[in-house]
Amino acid sequence: MSPRVFPELVYGRRDGFEQGRWTVESGEARRGGASCNLSDRCLRVPQDDDVVARVVRAHELMHIRVSPHRREHVPDEGLPERALECAEEFRVNRLLSLLGFDTGLLCDGSEKLGARRLAESGNWPEAVCFFLAVIGTGAEPEFLRGLRAAQPSWGAALRALKKAVLGVVDGLPVEAVGDTHVSDDGVPRGFEDVTLPVARLAARTLAAAAPSDAEGLRSIRRSLEPGGRRAPSGVFAPLVWDNEMRYVSRPRRAAHRRHRPSTTGSVMRYPSRLLSDPLCRAFGHKSPSRGGVVVIDQSGSMDVTTEDLDRLLHVAPNSLIVGYSHRPGDFGTTANAWVLAAGGRVAERSRNGNVGNGVDGPVLHWAVRRARGSEPIVWVTDGQVTDSNDHPCHSLSVECARLVRRHRIHLVRRLDEVESALRGRRGPTASFGRVGRELRELRRVSAA
Amino acid sequence: MSIEMEPAQCWTDVADVMAAGVRRVLLYGPPGTGKTFAALKLGLTQGVSERLVCTEDLTTGEITGTWMPAGAGKWEWREGPAIRAWRANGGRGGRLVVDEVDRASGDALSTLLAITDSPESARWRNPETGQWVKPGPDFSVVMTTNLEDLEDIPPALRDRFPVALRIDRPHPHAVSGLSEDLKGPALLGSLGEVERRVSLRRFYAFDQLRTHLGAERAARLLFGESEGQAMLDALAIGSLE
Repeated sequence: MSPRVFPELVYGRRDGFEQGRWTVESGEARRGGASCNLSDRCLRVPQDDDVVARVVRAHELMHIRVSPHRREHVPDEGLPERALECAEEFRVNRLLSLLGFDTGLLCDGSEKLGARRLAESGNWPEAVCFFLAVIGTGAEPEFLRGLRAAQPSWGAALRALKKAVLGVVDGLPVEAVGDTHVSDDGVPRGFEDVTLPVARLAARTLAAAAPSDAEGLRSIRRSLEPGGRRAPSGVFAPLVWDNEMRYVSRPRRAAHRRHRPSTTGSVMRYPSRLLSDPLCRAFGHKSPSRGGVVVIDQSGSMDVTTEDLDRLLHVAPNSLIVGYSHRPGDFGTTANAWVLAAGGRVAERSRNGNVGNGVDGPVLHWAVRRARGSEPIVWVTDGQVTDSNDHPCHSLSVECARLVRRHRIHLVRRLDEVESALRGRRGPTASFGRVGRELRELRRVSAA
Repeated sequence: MSIEMEPAQCWTDVADVMAAGVRRVLLYGPPGTGKTFAALKLGLTQGVSERLVCTEDLTTGEITGTWMPAGAGKWEWREGPAIRAWRANGGRGGRLVVDEVDRASGDALSTLLAITDSPESARWRNPETGQWVKPGPDFSVVMTTNLEDLEDIPPALRDRFPVALRIDRPHPHAVSGLSEDLKGPALLGSLGEVERRVSLRRFYAFDQLRTHLGAERAARLLFGESEGQAMLDALAIGSLE
């Protein structure tokens, strides 16, 4: 059979890719039926003698021509892999279109049903990525039709994304879009100038809550404008722990002891209770401090010094102290939680926050799991709860308020209030910020 | 787009081996990469190379020499390329290039074994004069073959050529006559599986034809309908123009 594809002849890369013999396997023209593996030089393409197969082959050849072949050529910005992959698909399709290939033929008839299934399952991130990969191809209108059937509001948001994405490539000549010269940052220029900005736009969009109304759509549109703020995501980010922190040991002093009133004992410590306490708990009972878990929201200007940590450990030597703050829009590359003190060891240096809250719920859940017995859990917070894009969120505030209520978490505003909370001296029930408002609401509902 | 004129590693190896004075070299690999051209020219400081193209019909006489009619009922001995290469450059020896060595028949092969033996062992007697002839000290042999697997070469012959270099792409100088946009692909044309190989000669033919007939027709004439289209697509994507 005569060859339908010449991968070895694809020449012109300037990023150190070494051409060699390719293994060509027979693939299909349907979605997922063709692939290009630059590492192993393996190409799977349809061998049919028709126009669709030809464009599919050209698509895979374009990957050979422009797609990064080394991991280090893709900067670690924390962008989701899928967003990067689909942004690269967009670039490749764009290049094909600029070279005169009919990308309208890139459609296998599965897009409408696939889009409908995505919309029905509420899989907004995948809908965003898939749409990116089919922009400018014959699959685009079919995909949008499928979405509209189940989620009419998604189409408008995706069209806004398309407008922003086309803004990245508009006016760029084909040489610039496909440029493989490696920039000073170590990234092939075409990838840097097209794929990365497009992936960033996609990442912003997919991290936003799926638009369900006009306000949701507006916030996505705003987020796609240059310098625009990320749209609300409505979800917390996953916890990413900082494992690089260094710790120093502190001399373990005896656990801080305190007296509790008791009905038995050898020394009458509280004689007045004979008159005032119905149970007449006039004796003092020594009990060691049980430590506690302190969760510090470091999103704002909360500065935790090692002296602060020492003071807290003096009160509760066994306490576990963690800080948290999420970088808005981060996808897991920046640590958003760190242990400041544990087991009598203290962080050599404290660290600053990352602007946003973003992980209030996950870190409280973690603290609840780590607290032993009836150890107190203290949450140093301004009472605000934000999502992974640092937008205040009602549902997330309610989630945190429920946690606070269910697990009797102490809310304090300042670090110097932690000490008394750890000692168990509870002041008036704390209720400040959004969490406080939700706590009051929960109390009102349960009282009713 | 201009191409880098840095030769591929295989060509650097060839040049280094020649420069080091190695006098028995085997070049193998896909056709159309300029192995013979290199064998004839590279590392040659004086004289010209003698060339033998092996076929199944190659005889011993075509290697060492044969009696030829000299007129008036007389015959004279005419030396073949191998002995001429032994004696070249005033007896110092020249270069013998043996092409397609894998195709040599048994008789020819045994003669080649004698000719390419080490200088201390190799000798041949001139049937006309009875004189013993030995290879000159500078005599060198470069053999070429399109075989991919050297196992197919007789072990005794293989043993005489300790340095075997695989040539999988043309030397940049070999594409200098092509249009700029074809130079890069032409350097890569021999890398693929046999059915996907595009030799340097075909690139030159394509380059010439397209100036008269246009690229599409030239590709169709040289490669056929679908293969021609596939080649044009690869070239267009490679050049991004």
